[in-house]
Amino acid sequence: MTPFIQARNITLVFKSKTREPVTALSNFSLEVGRGEFVSIVGPSGCGKSTFLNILLGLLRPEAGEMRLNGTPIAGPSQERAMVFQEFGLLPWRTVRANVELGLELKGIPSAERSQRAAELIKLVGLQGFERHYPHELSGGMKQRVGLARALATEPEVLLMDEPFAALDAQTRDLMQAELLQIWGRTKKTVLFVTHSIEEAAYLSDRVIVMTARPGRTKDVLKIQLARPRDYEMRLTAEFNEIKSRIWEVLKEELTPESRI
Amino acid sequence: MKAKEFYAEHRRLLLGFFSVISLLAAWELLLTYLFPLNPFFFTKPSLIAEAFKEQVRGPKLWHDLAISSRAFLWGFSFAVVIGIPVGLIMGWRRRVEYTLDPFLTALYASPLVAVAPLFIIAFGVGVLGKAALVFLLSVFPFIFNAFAGVKSTDRLLIDVIRSFGGSEKDLYLKVILPSTIPYIVAGARLAVGRGLVGIIVGEFYAASEGIGFAISQAGDTYRLPDMFVGILILSVIAVVLTELMRKLELTLAPWRASEEVRS
Repeated sequence: MTPFIQARNITLVFKSKTREPVTALSNFSLEVGRGEFVSIVGPSGCGKSTFLNILLGLLRPEAGEMRLNGTPIAGPSQERAMVFQEFGLLPWRTVRANVELGLELKGIPSAERSQRAAELIKLVGLQGFERHYPHELSGGMKQRVGLARALATEPEVLLMDEPFAALDAQTRDLMQAELLQIWGRTKKTVLFVTHSIEEAAYLSDRVIVMTARPGRTKDVLKIQLARPRDYEMRLTAEFNEIKSRIWEVLKEELTPESRI
Repeated sequence: MKAKEFYAEHRRLLLGFFSVISLLAAWELLLTYLFPLNPFFFTKPSLIAEAFKEQVRGPKLWHDLAISSRAFLWGFSFAVVIGIPVGLIMGWRRRVEYTLDPFLTALYASPLVAVAPLFIIAFGVGVLGKAALVFLLSVFPFIFNAFAGVKSTDRLLIDVIRSFGGSEKDLYLKVILPSTIPYIVAGARLAVGRGLVGIIVGEFYAASEGIGFAISQAGDTYRLPDMFVGILILSVIAVVLTELMRKLELTLAPWRASEEVRS
C-alpha cells in the first residue's frame, strides 16, 4: 500500500544572485500515514520549513518526488493547509473574516462560509471575539485564529511550521493540549515542525530528526506513549526517557554555537 | 484645583489657542501703537477682519471659490484614478517599475511649477488648464506612496493567499491593496498641498477668476487686507482637507486607527 504522504529524494537548492547557492534539502525522504501526527526536529536552517513549503506547494524541489495519496503535488490545494509561525493573519480583517479567508478563496458562498467560520471559532474557543481585529488579540489567540483558518477549508493534511514558537511558555502548553484535542476530534494528518524536543515528544506519533544543512533524515523515533496524553504525562520517567533519546540523536547535529 | 484639572485636560487646545491669539494681538498692537506704518504696504488683523466681513457678503468670493474648487476636484480626482493603479502595478511588476522609474523620478524631483506656462498654452486658461496642473502636481504622491505600500507588503501574507490557492487578482484585492491603503492616504495628504499649489500657480499665471487670481489681483492693486483674506481662506481649506484625509484613514484602515489610539 502506498503511504498517504510520500517524499522521495527531495533536493532543493536556494539560488541567489548575491550569495552562494544554499542546498536546503538533499535527498530527503519521508513517509507519513493517514491520520498520523509527525514532528520534524532539526538544527536551525536544516530545511524543515522548506520541506513544509514544498508539501504546501509554494516551493518546487529541483529533484525528487512528493506525492499525496499517490498523486504528485503540483501546487497549493485544498487538501493541505498551513499554520504559520508568525500567524499570517490579515490585519484589516476581523477574526471571523480571517477564518473565512480560505473558504472565500475557494469561492464558497457567504452563508456557508459564516456558518463554517462560526463552528471553527467555537472549536478553537474564540467565541465572542469574532469581530476583533488581530492586533486586539494575544499571541495565543492569534494562533487559534490561524488554526481555525487552516481547518476551515477541511484539509486532509495540516502543516504546522513552528506554530507555537512565538508564544510564551504557558500559552504554549495550553495550545499544545488543545491541538491534541482538536487533532483527536478531526483526525487530520499533521506535519509539525518544531525546535522543541519536548513539544515533539508530547504531540507526535513519530519524530523525524533531521541532519544539519543540507537536511536529510537522520533518525526516526516512534513515540509509544498512550493516547489521550495529558500534561501529567510529561512529568513521567518514561517521557523523560523519550526526550533524552531524541536529544541523543539531535545533539550530534548541533553546531557549537547552537549548543550553548 | 478645578482650574488646574481643566488645564491639564485641555492643555493642547488652550495652549494652541493662546499662541494664536497672542500673535494676532501682538501684530495688531505693534502696527497700531509702536510702528503705525503705511497701511498701503502693511496691514493688521483688524483690517483683515473687516475685509473678510465685506468679502463674505459679496458674491465674488464664492464665485472664485467655486471656480477654483472645480479645477481642483477634477485634477485631484484624476490624480487618484490614475496615480493609485500606476503605483500599484509599478510596485508589483518589476518591468513596469524599471520602465517608468526614470520619468517619475525626474518629474517628482523637478519643480513642476515651471511647466505651468506650457500647460496653460496646451490646455487653455480655463478649468482644463488648471485641472491639468493640479493633476500633474498631485499625481506623484499617489504613485510613489502606492508603490511604497506595495513594496512593504508582508511577504508572509502573500504566501498565505497563495497557499489557499488564491489567484493574482486575489493577491491584489485581498492583500496588496488593503495593506497599501494607509500609504495611499498619507500620499493624499501630501497631494492636497501640492494640488493647491497647482491651482494657485495656474491662477497667478493666467486666469480671470478664481481664488488665486483674487489673491494676485489684490496684491497687484495693494489691497493687502483682501489679499490676506484669500491666503487665510486657502490655509483653512488646506487644513480642513488634510484633516479629512486623516479621518478617511481612520475609516478605511480601522486596524491602524486603533493601533494609533492605543499607542
